[in-house]
Amino acid sequence: MIGFPQHTELLTKLMEVSDIRHRVVSQNLANVNTPGYQRLKVNFEDELAKQILGGSEVELTREPEVVKDNSLPVRADGNNVDIDMEIGELQRNAVLYQTYAQLMATQFATMRMAIRTE
Amino acid sequence: MGLKRLLATSHISASGLAAERQRMEVIANNIANANSTNSLSGGPYRRQVMVFSEAFDMALAGGKYNANGLEGVKIKGVESDWSEMPRVYNPGHPDADESGMVTMPNVKLPNEMVDLITASRAYEANLKALHQFRQMTEQTLSLLRGIS
Repeated sequence: MIGFPQHTELLTKLMEVSDIRHRVVSQNLANVNTPGYQRLKVNFEDELAKQILGGSEVELTREPEVVKDNSLPVRADGNNVDIDMEIGELQRNAVLYQTYAQLMATQFATMRMAIRTE
Repeated sequence: MGLKRLLATSHISASGLAAERQRMEVIANNIANANSTNSLSGGPYRRQVMVFSEAFDMALAGGKYNANGLEGVKIKGVESDWSEMPRVYNPGHPDADESGMVTMPNVKLPNEMVDLITASRAYEANLKALHQFRQMTEQTLSLLRGIS
């Protein structure tokens, strides 16, 4: 079996998490005027960073978790979505996704270069 | 899975766009009828409000929050605002009662304008999310471009 470098798998996972986070932020934005709605967030990177810093084996099988976020101040209608924060999160996430996609493209290009017989 | 899941994000943003646009329509209707002393149900026009509810497919998610179960926002309905109608003195008005008072609609223009702005901003935010999703999808597709 051809072993892909481990960071290909890591990048795939990070792209997947980024996709999920985009979906969750979209859900928050769609519900910015829904009374009683509590914003959702995705937990993944903190745990990953802990594993990497701790020097232990990175578990790529762990699924990102979508949880309610009650840490923000609640408006009069019981909703705690901050539209500016969500847009910021959206942009940040998109830039991260772009970075991962670019890293992946570069990696594929390197591999193609290695395969080419000239 | 498959195509439905792939396009679920655009569905979420689309539901937000549809909901906010409908809210703007209801607000426009309120503003248009701010002085209507007659309505289909009799009496002056009553302010209408949109009721939204979070759309979430619990069956798919198995009672737990799961990104695949998120379905945006749902329009629960258009309800009447049962707050009190203001009464103004205008004896010449055809709808005035014997004491010369006319019951006016309970539409307050400043409130409607604020609602209109928030609806418009929320619409923009949903549009932004949709646009961003499109860009992300294009980036993923570009990974395949170099292969041939």
